[in-house]
Formats: sequence, structure tokens, C-alpha cells
Amino acid sequence: MNEDQLLQLQAWMDGELPAEEARRVEALLRTSPEAEALVSELRVTKGFLAGNEPEAKVPETRDFYWSKIRGEIERSAAAESAASAPAPAPAWLLSWRRFLAPLSGLAMVAFLSVLSLNLYHRAEQDPMQHLVEVENLDETIGSISYKSQSENMFVVYLYNKDQNPDMDEDELFDDQVLQ
Amino acid sequence: MIRRLCSCRAGRLFLAALLFLASVLPSQAAELKLEAKLIWATNDDKSPNLEHKPVDAATAEKLRKVFKWKNYFIVNRIVKTVPSRGANSFELSKQCTVEIRELEGPKVEVKLIGKGKEVHKTTKTLTKGEWFTYAGDDKNESAWFVIITELDEK
Repeated sequence: MNEDQLLQLQAWMDGELPAEEARRVEALLRTSPEAEALVSELRVTKGFLAGNEPEAKVPETRDFYWSKIRGEIERSAAAESAASAPAPAPAWLLSWRRFLAPLSGLAMVAFLSVLSLNLYHRAEQDPMQHLVEVENLDETIGSISYKSQSENMFVVYLYNKDQNPDMDEDELFDDQVLQ
Repeated sequence: MIRRLCSCRAGRLFLAALLFLASVLPSQAAELKLEAKLIWATNDDKSPNLEHKPVDAATAEKLRKVFKWKNYFIVNRIVKTVPSRGANSFELSKQCTVEIRELEGPKVEVKLIGKGKEVHKTTKTLTKGEWFTYAGDDKNESAWFVIITELDEK
């Protein structure tokens, strides 16, 4: 006998099978001694239980008794969930949360912007930044370059090499820092 | 659309990245608005060319502190924009042109062109308020100046 047949036998004992299946189980009982033995055993067991099952008497009605149990279960479940849940945030924090979330995003953008600008200015403070490249593109032209710190002026003075072979910059400038 | 962008996390990240780029990129590569002036200097009281007007008092005072000449006359003034990593040409007279290129750094390359021929090239950082000046002798103890400054407004 397989497991389905065992279950069908038990269901047949309890009168839970439809007529068609009940007929099939009865046919099985007629042909299978094993099935017949099992049914006999089940009948004996059922008889023992029916005769000896303890019966408890409750002071309340059946419905009221079970509603009390259900109520107790619900109360204990609620208490457990309250204990395990995190403490609720203060009301003012909840109301400000919709403003604080975008504000935190803006703060992050501002921070990154300042960081990038600092990097940019750091590049500006490159010690090699002040160096100047000068290049004469005409062989007949000479040049003197200097920076006037007081007037914040950088000057490249050009002269004709042929006409001014001994160019003296002191003749030209009052305030100079030669490069 | 914007509301939908703001509501999802990826959208917020995208907007933050966009703002970040918008704040960073303009500072790292920007066009330059430059003023180029051609000035003629002399110890005479008047310019032989009546079209030349004296420079303003502040400019004259500043030039007098650096150079030996007494009087300075404006010949031409050009304001142009030099695009980022690009160049522009300032034709100050028929004989004098400066070509300015914006370079990485940020620096500028200033090329002086006289009578169509490249004469001199300077590459340097041009800071706000600084005057970059090309100068040279002219006849009758006079001199010419090309002054390049960066203007504040874009």
C-alpha cells in the first residue's frame, strides 16, 4: 500500500470521501488483507480514544473562552512588536525630514564644489606659474622684459639691435624688476 | 519630469553630478574678455596726429610711474573675446597686430606682429588687474605701447 491509499483509508474511516472514491476504497478492502487489517486497527484506536478522551469543563461559554485566548495572543504579539520596533522619531524631525533630505544633497554638492575650487586654486599657486616664456621671432629685434611690482605691470620692451647695440634699461624705466 | 527625477535616488545623484560639473567646469576653462590698447608716448605736449586723444589721468599716472615719457596718447582700443583654448587677433593699426591665444594653465600666448611679420612671442599667466605691455622706441624720442588687460565683465 502506498501513502495515498493509507490517507484514503483514514479519510474513509472518518466519512470524508465522496461516494465514488469511497466505493474504490471499499473494493480495495475486499481484495487487500493489509488494508483490512489497517482499518481494523484504526477502528480499535478510534474506539479507545472515543471512550477515554478527557473532557475539560470551562466555566465560560465556548465562544467566550476562545475569544479570551485570541485576545491574549493579540496582546502579547503587540507587546513583542512594540519592544522590537525602534523608538519613533520625534514629530518635529519627521516634519522636517522632507526639507532635510534635499538640504543634505545640496550640502554635498557645495562641499564638492568648494573642494574642486580649492584644487583649482592650488593649481594656480603652482610655483612655476609665474615663469614667463619670451621668444624673439625676428633676429634684428632684441627685448628686455621686467615686472613692475608696484604698478602690477609686466613689460616686454623691444629694440632694434642695429640701432641700439648698447641698450641701457636704466634709461627707459623708473621702477623695474628684471626677469 | 523634474519631479520624477527628484523622487528617485538615481535622479538625485544625476542632478547632484550636474550641479557639480556646472560649478567646476566654468572655472577651469573659460573664455577671456581682453582689452588691447595702442598708446603713443612723447615728451611733447601735443600729438602730431590730432585724432590721438590723451589717455585718462589714471592711465597716464600709472605709465609715468614706470616709463620716462611725460605724455601718452591713445591711438586705438579694441575689446575682444578670446575663446577657451582658442585665439583671436587684435589689429590695432595697419602696422601693429597682436594675436592672443588662451592656453592651459591658464596662460596666454601673446604674439606681436609688425607690418605683417611676427616679431615677438610671450607666454605667461595673465592675472586680473595686471597689465601686459609690449613697448618700443619710435622716432623723435617717442615710444609706442601695446597694453593688454583682462576685463572683469564677460
